[in-house]
Amino acid sequence: MKKSVFILVLLLLSGITFANEAYQNAMKQAIDKLFHSQTIQEYVDVANQFERISTIEKKEWLPLYYASFSYIMISFKGTDNAKKDQYLDQAQKYLDQAMAIEPNESELFMLQGFLYPSRINIDPINRGMALMGKMNAALDKALELNPDNPRVYYLRATMTANMPEAFGGGAAKALPLYQKAAEKFELFKPKSEIHPNWGKELNTNDLQKIQK
Amino acid sequence: MRSIFLIIILFLTTASLYSQVQLTGKVTDTHSNPLPGANVFLQNSYDGATTDSLGNFTFKTSLNGIQNLSASFIGYKPFSQKVDLDNSKTISVNIQLQESEDQLDEVVVNAGTFEASDEKKAVVLRVFDIATTPSAQGDIFGAFGTLPGVQKVGEDGRVFVRGGEGYETKTFMDGMLVASPYTSKMPDMPSRGRFSPLLFSGTLFSTGAYSAEYGQALSSIVDMKTNSIETEEKSSISLMTVGLMGSTTQCRKNSSLSLSGDLLSSALSNKINKQQVDWTKAPLTADATVMFRQKIRQTGLYKLFGTFNTSSSDMNYLNIQNKVNQALALENSTIYLNNTYNSTLSEKWMLKSGLAWNYDHQNLKMDNDRIITNQKMVQAKIGFSYFINTQTELKFGSDWVNFSYDQKIDMNGNYRLPFTNNELSGFAEVEYKPSKKIATRIGFRAENSSLLSRTTLVPRFSGAYKTGKHSQISLAGGEFYQNPENDYLKFAPQLKPEKASHAVMTWQYQNEQQTFRVEGYLKKYTNLVKYTAPLATNPLDYSNTGSGKARGIDVFWRDKQSLKNTDYWISYSWIDAKRNYKDYSEMAIPTFVSEHNLSLVFKRFIPSLSTYASVTYSFASSRPYHDPNFSGFMNAHTKAYNDISLSLTYMLNFFEKQAALHLMLNNLAGFDNIYGYNFATTPNAEGKYESSPIRSPFVRQAILLLNIML
Repeated sequence: MKKSVFILVLLLLSGITFANEAYQNAMKQAIDKLFHSQTIQEYVDVANQFERISTIEKKEWLPLYYASFSYIMISFKGTDNAKKDQYLDQAQKYLDQAMAIEPNESELFMLQGFLYPSRINIDPINRGMALMGKMNAALDKALELNPDNPRVYYLRATMTANMPEAFGGGAAKALPLYQKAAEKFELFKPKSEIHPNWGKELNTNDLQKIQK
Repeated sequence: MRSIFLIIILFLTTASLYSQVQLTGKVTDTHSNPLPGANVFLQNSYDGATTDSLGNFTFKTSLNGIQNLSASFIGYKPFSQKVDLDNSKTISVNIQLQESEDQLDEVVVNAGTFEASDEKKAVVLRVFDIATTPSAQGDIFGAFGTLPGVQKVGEDGRVFVRGGEGYETKTFMDGMLVASPYTSKMPDMPSRGRFSPLLFSGTLFSTGAYSAEYGQALSSIVDMKTNSIETEEKSSISLMTVGLMGSTTQCRKNSSLSLSGDLLSSALSNKINKQQVDWTKAPLTADATVMFRQKIRQTGLYKLFGTFNTSSSDMNYLNIQNKVNQALALENSTIYLNNTYNSTLSEKWMLKSGLAWNYDHQNLKMDNDRIITNQKMVQAKIGFSYFINTQTELKFGSDWVNFSYDQKIDMNGNYRLPFTNNELSGFAEVEYKPSKKIATRIGFRAENSSLLSRTTLVPRFSGAYKTGKHSQISLAGGEFYQNPENDYLKFAPQLKPEKASHAVMTWQYQNEQQTFRVEGYLKKYTNLVKYTAPLATNPLDYSNTGSGKARGIDVFWRDKQSLKNTDYWISYSWIDAKRNYKDYSEMAIPTFVSEHNLSLVFKRFIPSLSTYASVTYSFASSRPYHDPNFSGFMNAHTKAYNDISLSLTYMLNFFEKQAALHLMLNNLAGFDNIYGYNFATTPNAEGKYESSPIRSPFVRQAILLLNIML
């Protein structure tokens, strides 16, 4: 009897680890697909995958984070402004859900800071001023929660690079920021294989472009 | 025992491995168009697929039994259906998704209304639009001048709507009355709104036939919605050629506190911009504003808005009668407090309540004469919304305004003109939406004035019908009462309220990026105040025998998509208005009416320069005036009005701080606009009535502002 109880417990435990492994595997597979996506269709497909994972793993913020990230990428690929806004609404929806699960996660505030510029690009005249402040607030909060988050440094560097020199932007100003970001990327260790770990390559590419 | 257990486990797992089921099907919309990119999946599993370009999906699952098959797609309602996975190896399901109810698709009661909001989708303007319209010079009321239905009345500054006078537009803040929304004015000088447009998250501007919730306004209402709880701590200072401004916001978990203040002087600006006015002391203004917001329990929000404002200016004013300059000195102080508490009481009940207090003190010196005017207002308001069912909402409420006016005149003797009025009002209104296509609103408003000893009861109605996905037709009408202006009541408290009736018909097309609206209206005025001569002091010199009428067409077009990085709107109004009021000898077009009004607002973002550029062009056809040197009444016309204004906003880094540099240029082309003429009351030795033109205080104006976020 004792033995059978022991086996039962063991079986149950293995069941749990099995489920966790399934989650890890599903996420790994989807993340890999995400960073190999090119077209809107591919991004939608992988966003759907993350959405499916999120409907089961109700306590995990990562599936929602990646679903939101996918939709921001989709908005970059879109051409119709009304559609782009719809994609970003969807990205914001996932991000809000993720924030509700994990209200103090640097990566989520970083993603929020990544979402606002996409909104601004759609209608800079009417949105620029209001959202610029919100974007900076989100990035500040992301740094406050994790001063070593390399993606925040990368985003700041990109924003600076895209601003004209006359207004405190430009390549010269952006260079030290990219270098700082590169340092942070060098030191960065993701919490797990499925935690956010993107941006290093982008940063290296941008840095090379600027140094040319 | 153990082996049996293992076998069972083994059996179960292998069984599940071998019983994979394939699901296939197609996802379409309600018109059978395929929806590519939809997510189709089984709840409680990762199993699912994305539909291909033909809307088809196929995936395998190892689940069994009865499961929920779900589908989701952006812009459509989520779908779910039970499928039995035990009976067959392949299951085919065709799914039809219904479009979700977008705000833009739903009918809205909006005849006569222009709404600016950052929260709602189906609006014509954003708050930012108001702050950045060049011809508005940062003034909320100035920005309304670029909307159809509003007359250009450059020497006044208030909002003149559809053949109505400036006083016929009433201003509210979060539903509460603002007794003195404009700065005090010198003769022939435009006044401005007291409040910065940046304090508000939305503005409702109605040019007619508004809801029964609003009363005591003959032509128009402006309801400004103050910002909700702030979630961002921020501070900024602004340096301007006309003064200094600063603001700070602090946030707590369930509350926020914002403080702002400014000190404005036109002294420098008046040197830069040539003045057509002989200022002996340039206008000086100080403002302080406090805003506190507190969330109370789950659904309650308490808002406090308090502002103190003081201003002074001195000028020499040409008295055309005796051709001498009169020394005018004006001082004005205002305190306004606005408290509101709104809460959801239950699923069906909502509460809106408020308490407002206003004190306005004005001291005008003319050579050795002096007029001191004190106005006090207290308002208490309570209103409820009751959601009878999903289609029907009942709103009702009550409103009490205590207003006291006291004018002391020291001019060849001392006079005092005080009066007090208690206005008690009640309203009830039902909004009924039997379908997504039809909405109706019917309401009544009753008002009782203690001073006028009158009770009035008026109906209001509004209806809208959706004629297409993006278009709707609306009808609205009603009757409106307003007590005569204080300047008449102080002499003649026996007067009756003035009355107007409106009928409005609108057709509107709106998609995400474009709005086209055309509105026709008819207006009738009765009981307008007539008097025998301006400033007549005998109550019997005043009567309610005046009347008037107006009809017109307003057209509005806004387009954000056709030109890259560009947003523009065009307003055009045609009006035919006549009145016989004041001391008019006959029915005539009043002096503030121009038959044609046109505004073009053009805004462009230049990304390579981080610059916003806005240009406005305004045109108003000639206005009539009465020239006593010729026979007939209202026998002369001014030239047409033209204005081109420009504003540029550069985003920049200022010592590592985010900053913006604004340059505002008014009347770039230097048009010499004349709004009318002042005539002497008696002829000179040659028998001629002398006159002087009424002009803007400046020809051109440039204002520079640097705003730094701290």
